[in-house]
Amino acid sequence: MRRTKWAALAVGLSLLTGCAGGAAGASDEVPTLRWAVTLPAHWDPVVSGSGAQFRILSLTYASLTEINEKGEAVPSLAESWDYNDKGDQVTFHLRKGLKFSDGEPVNAAAIKAYLERAKTQKDSALFGDLTSIKSVTANDLDVVVDLTQTDYQIPLLLGERVAQIPSPKAAQDPAALDKNPVGAGPFVVTENVPGSHVHLTKNPDYWDAANIKIEKVELLSAPDTATIVSGVQTGVYDLAGLAPNQVKAAEAAKLDVVIQPGYNASNISINVNKAPFDNPKVVDAVRYATNRQEFVDKATFGLAAPTDQPFPDTYLAYDKETANRWPYDVTRAKSLIAESGLTPEQLKVDLVIPNQQTAAEIIQSQLAAIGITVNIKVDPNWATPFFAKDLALSIYGTTGRESPVQTLTAHFGPDGPLNLSTPYEPEGFEAAVKVARETPLDSPDYQKNLRAATRAGLDSRAIVFTYSLPNLFVKSPKVSDFAPIPGQLHWTGLTVAS
Amino acid sequence: MVRRALALPSGRIAAGILAAIALLAILGPFLAPYDPLAGGAEILAGPSGAHWLGTDYLGRDVFSRLLDGSRVSVLGSVQVSLVALIAGVIPGILSVYLGPAFEWVTLRLADTLIALPFLVFAVAVTALLGNGIPQAMFTVGIMISPLFFRVSRAATLSVARSPYVEAALISGASIGWVVRKHVWVKVLPPVAVALANTAGVGFVVVSSLTFLGIGVQPPAPTWGGVLAADLGYLSFRPWAPLVPTALIMATVWACNLLADVIRDVSGPTFLLRRGRNVHSQSA
Repeated sequence: MRRTKWAALAVGLSLLTGCAGGAAGASDEVPTLRWAVTLPAHWDPVVSGSGAQFRILSLTYASLTEINEKGEAVPSLAESWDYNDKGDQVTFHLRKGLKFSDGEPVNAAAIKAYLERAKTQKDSALFGDLTSIKSVTANDLDVVVDLTQTDYQIPLLLGERVAQIPSPKAAQDPAALDKNPVGAGPFVVTENVPGSHVHLTKNPDYWDAANIKIEKVELLSAPDTATIVSGVQTGVYDLAGLAPNQVKAAEAAKLDVVIQPGYNASNISINVNKAPFDNPKVVDAVRYATNRQEFVDKATFGLAAPTDQPFPDTYLAYDKETANRWPYDVTRAKSLIAESGLTPEQLKVDLVIPNQQTAAEIIQSQLAAIGITVNIKVDPNWATPFFAKDLALSIYGTTGRESPVQTLTAHFGPDGPLNLSTPYEPEGFEAAVKVARETPLDSPDYQKNLRAATRAGLDSRAIVFTYSLPNLFVKSPKVSDFAPIPGQLHWTGLTVAS
Repeated sequence: MVRRALALPSGRIAAGILAAIALLAILGPFLAPYDPLAGGAEILAGPSGAHWLGTDYLGRDVFSRLLDGSRVSVLGSVQVSLVALIAGVIPGILSVYLGPAFEWVTLRLADTLIALPFLVFAVAVTALLGNGIPQAMFTVGIMISPLFFRVSRAATLSVARSPYVEAALISGASIGWVVRKHVWVKVLPPVAVALANTAGVGFVVVSSLTFLGIGVQPPAPTWGGVLAADLGYLSFRPWAPLVPTALIMATVWACNLLADVIRDVSGPTFLLRRGRNVHSQSA
């Protein structure tokens, strides 16, 4: 946030001096999309992980599978797949004649090399997602994946978040790949100036190149949220992420506000291994003290919906049976705090966050109401202690996962990256997840078993879900509508008028 | 000098504004009509009888937050000025009297500090020592101290080799006595100008740092923090940044005006003019 405020000043000056206006005024010779983004810190999908940055990396990497508007796995590099009868082996059949932008062939050996690297590389952010994969065998264009257990989630798992495939030749030097991506996606990076911009041009060798209508993409470092709308309005950008407090300004400027469906869910992350949350009564008090509607009203201006589960209440795995299990009840929360026997001094805790957020101040005031003193600490290097599970209290907003089982294990599993209380996991969760994993996606029991796993996970004291905000973007009217793919931006069919 | 400064209209205006700001810093938290930290259901509301300056993104009364935040902003500025004064003036005077080694070290140190961008340095120090106004302002005060060092050293040099000072030293007067009796009166006027200027700079620095979220922890209000928050909600309350901006501008302007007045009333031109007037009146 601090850096973006400096950047906002620079952008503001450039707008005033007309420099940016000059660029915007020039007519594009080819259809070009100018997208204001937080430029990726990592271009290697193995290191980048399954967070929101996968949307940017999808410009340059194609994934093994994709999802459609219903969230179902559909072909991408793999044109089909099939399971063995037992459900512990899945074979992906790759398209013929594809190649990476460095000329290397897209074959089963490339997929095998990627998956093995994702499981073993020291700084891999994906190894926890691939525990079901025992081994990979490459047979020309057939990738045979042997599993440690029956798991029908694999085609969903190996989509854009977990299986964006780089060139195996480029991946021999992971450090270089992390700076200069080489994939088989719809675009190829032609210029990469860290912290400033990335230019990409259309990849004629992409498997669906015929449906890519944009010739160039320019990724530009996003300024402060307050200047995004004016940036799009003046043509500096064609597309940008939009903060909820800027939606009104975007609408007033007659720009397109894109409300992209997604599986987002924000939460209060609690470490039950650290005081005062090692006292179960304090955790229960936090659960009852959480007024989700206040988050919706004040942090999202009513654009979100309250949720007490790791996805919106419209999602397949949302368990209606346990909805509102911990209703907002300050009186009960206060009595639980009294029962905890802790003194006010023992009820002081640091809430560590990466940047200033309205949600943090809401948590601070809601917990103050029951006697917990929250000290907000902004740490730009928040990710390191968060994923090392060193914090007592934090907040996190997941963008969801294509595989609902992956969503559940990420939040509630003993090694889940979003479980701040590792190795804690709620009793019965592992067994319930196993059943969900073993249920074919077309089985009539699939939804029931998923919901049972959600129910088991919600016993976790490590996490309190608050609200689900859809993905918000602002775009110039000259950019066509995005396909409503949950949580993802697909580039096929997208056009930018000159 | 104070009487002469207050005799000028610009001096009275500057003193009036700064006195009002000082009163805000002392009484602001007690005058606030609402708890500045307590949110309400009505967010980003416009001005009304209940909330004179409306409410912010958490439904907190903006007027109360500005009143409460004045203390942090003013104290930060005062801290910068005092640290710079002490860290600059004392070595500045001593550098003339304590020999070439001390003089060389202090001059090189001052050169080094001048070369460093103090705002960036303050950000770095808060990253190292924790996010707080005292450590940030102490750092900024040290970084600004070369201004006082140079001003006080120049004024000291101008009198140190005067015949009457040399005569005093030859007569057995101590360096301390000479500084108190002869040097200090020469150093005081330019230091007073620098002090008023530094107070303004300190105010800008406090406001800038708190605007960037450095120096205070939420939900503590500051003028810079209120301004930063307002900028995120321009489409709801486009006029809102004007109030904290006006407060910051008025304070800095008053400090600069006071510096100008002090410079004018302590300068030879003013004294000469005043002398001529007196002479003509008596003629």
